[in-house]
Parts: sequence; C-alpha cells; structure tokens
Amino acid sequence: MLMIIPIRCFTCGKLIGDKWEEYVKRKEAGEDPKRILDDMGLTRYCCRRMLLSHVEIIDEVLEFYKEASKRKIKSE
Amino acid sequence: MRNALNVCVLQKDDSHLRLLIQGVDVAFVNSLRRIIIAEVPCMAIDEVMVIENSSVLHDEILAHRLGLIPLTTDLDNYKLPEECSCKSDLGCKLCRVSLILDVEAGDKMMIVYSGDLKSDDPNVIPVSNRIPIVKLAPRQKVKLEIYARLSRGKDHAKWQPVSMCAYKYLPRINIDEGKCDGCGKCINICPKRILIKANSVVSVQRVLDCTLCQDCVKACPKKPPAIQVKWNENSFVFSFESTGALPVERIAFEAFKILDKRLEGLLNSLAAAERAEEVEGVGS
Repeated sequence: MLMIIPIRCFTCGKLIGDKWEEYVKRKEAGEDPKRILDDMGLTRYCCRRMLLSHVEIIDEVLEFYKEASKRKIKSE
Repeated sequence: MRNALNVCVLQKDDSHLRLLIQGVDVAFVNSLRRIIIAEVPCMAIDEVMVIENSSVLHDEILAHRLGLIPLTTDLDNYKLPEECSCKSDLGCKLCRVSLILDVEAGDKMMIVYSGDLKSDDPNVIPVSNRIPIVKLAPRQKVKLEIYARLSRGKDHAKWQPVSMCAYKYLPRINIDEGKCDGCGKCINICPKRILIKANSVVSVQRVLDCTLCQDCVKACPKKPPAIQVKWNENSFVFSFESTGALPVERIAFEAFKILDKRLEGLLNSLAAAERAEEVEGVGS
C-alpha cells in the first residue's frame, strides 16, 4: 500500500515526508543512517522506522506509465 | 506538601517545549495534556474536489495525503466552523481557506510537492515546501480544489497541533554515601547513563533524564539498596513537540485558555444546579 513516503509518522504524527529525499541522498553518499536520523531530529523509534523501513515503489509503477505514454505518442 | 504554582522553561526551540511545573497535581497536568492533544484547534485540509487526477494514486489516497500536511495556523483570524456565523456546510471566508493544486508533467517525470499548493491566504500554507505529495509520469495531471478548516484533535489526528505531548514526575535520586561502595553496577545498568562515579562514590548527573525505571535500585547489591529513586508528587516535567502548525508557546497559551473556559462552564452549571435545588425546596 505504501507507494510513496507517508507524510507523517504512523504512530506519533510527526512530519517525516519532507525528510525522505535528504535521507536517501545522504544514505547514498555513504553516511550512516543512525547519524542522518539523529541529525534530522528523529529521536523516537516510531519516526525512525518510517524512513529506515520505507521502500519507494512508486518509481517502479511509473515506469509502466512512462512506456505507455511513449507508445501513445508514436501511434499518434 | 503543596506549594505555590511555579512554572519554568527547561528547554525551548522552534518545535519543542519542556517545562518544569511545580505545585500542581496529576489531574491538572493530565487535563493540560489532554487539552493540548484533543482540544487546541489547528488548520488542516478537510475537503478535496478532484477535477482531474490521472496520477497513479487514487483520489482518496491523494486527499488523505493532503489532509495530513500540517498547515501554519492563524488562530486570530479564523473561527471554528461550528462557531462561525455563516452556519453553512461550505464555510465562508472566516472559517475556511481554499487552496488549489494544478500541476501537469511535461515530457519528464515530476514530483508534486506541498510547495505547489497555492493558498488564498499567505498565512495558511504548508509547514514545509518539500513534502512529496505524488509523483507524475509524463503527461499525467492533477487538478484539485482544496478546502482547509480549523478543527480539533478529537475529530481527526490531522488536527492535533502536537506530535508528542507527555509529562513525568520530577525524579529525585538519593544515594546513601555511607552505604555505597562504588561497585558501579547501577552505573552500567542505567539506560539513560545518568550515574557517574566520583571519588569512589556514585553521583548523579542530568537528573531530569531519569525515566524512574528503578533498574539501578534493583541492581544495587546492598540490602536495603544504597540508591533510592523517588519522585516529587507535585512536580512535573511536561514536554511537547509542535507539528509546526502553531508555535509552541501559543499551544500552551491556548490550552490554558480552553481549560479556564471549561472550568468556568463547570462552575456555572454547578451554580445553576444549586439554584434549581433552592427553587425546588421553596416549592415543596
């Protein structure tokens, strides 16, 4: 069901949506997730798991629509 | 044991407030906590008219995501819909803010952010501009008409102005220096690491971090234990964290205002009941 990063933490309601992109960027740069989360002020484990365990699937779904729109243009 | 009410700020920044409240009882701080969570109003998106949505997320999910976006709240210029003079389901300028989201992806993929929401009122905008709402494939389009309203946490969690609101007793740790031999068992077991060894006797640092778990008391090999963790029945460490919808001091201020109004209402109805009883007594 989780196609895209949730806006808020499921448990406490803290805003986490705007932290995802920075988190991914810094994680890919090789930084330790613990440090990134501490840095972003996510102190409770409910909010930390939101980012730690999230898998962004929407990008994979969008690939199909991207292909479809290409074919549509071609056929036109 | 009861002393005068005394409040001092332990820690304060943009989103956190930690207070030391002394001279009150649990009932008082708990009512304060419950009012902050369930009664202090704030702004959130409540109604979404979908004009066009060809994104991969369903209309309902899109609306739900929009609802959860914290909006900066202007409590002075807006009224709760049930208290507004317009008495209409649609709302009027005094109790509703309309926003528009109109985005279309070009030839490339794009991400729709909370910053793309165009609000009628510059005082009511998303707390952050970088919240992803949905991702669009080429030529997908989202066009929405959105209404935000004031309401309370008891109606829906999106109207809670805080993401955390809690209190605990003020910890009081006593170490019997005559009995303590500095074995260090309590130091190692403390989850908050608030005990340190000084001159072969254990001493306490950062008492406020103590969670009153009593692990150190259980770990002490002395019988009875050389360390005692007690708390002050009339002192509380009260802390909360704003979602960004309202400044922290405003949340506390509004909570006190609501509590005052509630207590006044209770006194009035008690007085009314008393009067009714008197009238009944005269009649019989």
